Amino acid sequence: MMRRNPRWPIHAALIVVSVIMLVPFYWVLKTSLSGENIYAYPPSIIPKSPNLFYYVDVWYSIPFARYFLNSVAVSAIAVAANVVFNAMAGYALTRSFAGKGLVILLFLSCMMVPFQATIIPAYLITGKLGLLDSWLGLALPQCSTIICIFVFKASFEAVPPSLIDAARIDGLSEWGIIWRVMMPLAKSAVATNVILSFIWSWNNFLWPLIMTRTPEMQTLPLGLARFLSYQEDTTGALYAFCIMVLAPGLLLFLMAQKEFIQGLTSGATKG
Amino acid sequence: MAAILEAQAPMRAGTLLRERTRRTLLVWCFLVPSLAIFLIYRIIPLAWNVILSFEYWTPLRPAEFAGLDHYQDLLDDEVFWQALWNTVMVIASAPIGIAIALALALLVNSDIRGRDVYRTIIFLSYPLMTVAVAIIWRWMFDERVGLINYTARLLNLIDKPIPFLNSFTFALPSVIAANIWQMLGFYMIILLTGLQNIPHELHEAAAIDGASLWQRFWRITLPLLRPSVFLAFVIGMLNSVTSFDLVYVMTGGGPGRATEILVTYIYKLGFGQTKFDYAAAVTVVFFVLLIGIAWGANRLSGGDAGAVDTQ
Repeated sequence: MMRRNPRWPIHAALIVVSVIMLVPFYWVLKTSLSGENIYAYPPSIIPKSPNLFYYVDVWYSIPFARYFLNSVAVSAIAVAANVVFNAMAGYALTRSFAGKGLVILLFLSCMMVPFQATIIPAYLITGKLGLLDSWLGLALPQCSTIICIFVFKASFEAVPPSLIDAARIDGLSEWGIIWRVMMPLAKSAVATNVILSFIWSWNNFLWPLIMTRTPEMQTLPLGLARFLSYQEDTTGALYAFCIMVLAPGLLLFLMAQKEFIQGLTSGATKG
Repeated sequence: MAAILEAQAPMRAGTLLRERTRRTLLVWCFLVPSLAIFLIYRIIPLAWNVILSFEYWTPLRPAEFAGLDHYQDLLDDEVFWQALWNTVMVIASAPIGIAIALALALLVNSDIRGRDVYRTIIFLSYPLMTVAVAIIWRWMFDERVGLINYTARLLNLIDKPIPFLNSFTFALPSVIAANIWQMLGFYMIILLTGLQNIPHELHEAAAIDGASLWQRFWRITLPLLRPSVFLAFVIGMLNSVTSFDLVYVMTGGGPGRATEILVTYIYKLGFGQTKFDYAAAVTVVFFVLLIGIAWGANRLSGGDAGAVDTQ
């Protein structure tokens, strides 16, 4: 205890970093609430006569509800597909079968292929499937994620084999074993899958940018980028839109940050 | 009794075999949806890309064999070299972020009050939509009323505001800074997990032997952290080359081509100019670059880092 180092330098360093991490949020929030000309110099640190004018402006000047609906629909498809498909694949990988090593090798090599390096053929294939400009086409490339398969695999491996044998003797099918025995025991893996696949599909920009053609199919990130290109930075509504888009992701993260971080690290270190 | 058992044995072996085939079949059925998705959106695109890069092809026309023509064109394409250079710069910046994150992980790992709060704040930017992050940073870097210029002028560091995103010198570093800001928390979490897996006894034993804090960091912490650093680097690399969203929204690749990276160039070639075949050749180079760097990083980190048991 005697040679304990003073704590204040650690706090000081961490507070500086925290400020750097938080100030950009504040600056945008301030701008979105500001009642004055946002280009007045010097910029005010605290918004003068704060009001929600810009938020109302966003609501009336763009089809926010439509973008929101598209984003929700695409994310819902991606999340549902991820939970079902990844659980199935994760369960399969806990069994021993011929060719298993090959399948794992295939999954691991697919992890090294960033989606951005496949955009041209991916676009052409989606065109051939007739899914361009549709919710399913937007969600399809993200309907299964390798990291999440390994999260399920690790979590299923922790289930005692005797329990599975007992379920089998009781006449449960393999399908039944997954849904009635494994899934209830793998709640944190399910949470990880839901959170990660939601964040990834909610934030996705490049894919919708390439494959949506009609304004009716645009998702929120696309709407935000388009809004920027019409308006340039001249209006505070852009920043209000930004806050409206960020809020759901932030809320979800703050509610489930434990599962989120746990999932990321377990997936990343195991997969 | 024994006779009955013997009589049953061959039949049971038969059903067992059938049972086993049935189960194997079922296992493959469970794998089919995921495998199909990876086949359609990873494997086939990769192969198609390579084929396309050796062809002359535009939509709705029959393909013609082009040999190495597209690759030859690449050699004379100044924009390609600029984009390649910028991409390498972005990748090379990942270690800066990792070094900062390592310092933060060490600080957050010490048992101080409120470390969970610090951890949450530092991690907060990672799950955010990158398009929104790009807009936030455009505004921070704004020439007239951006906070960065305002603070620098207030502190008399500069006389005239710097148009960060319109400057050939500052545009790329500005995009990289925004990228590091977003990835910092993620690197920190990976390294923190690695730090927590280092047994306490090692540090205690070294401390008893008289090793200083600094020596313990270089001799124990860093070597044992190598797999985590490798992991952070590979994920960071994949993530920063994919910083398409940041570049597209913050600068659009400009001014000139100062922030053009390979992904934005591929996008412009393919979907702006419908040169799918040429864009495919750029993609092949891009992919080879990624694999090469990942391989090199793996060698540097000791060869077996990132290895996963295949059992």
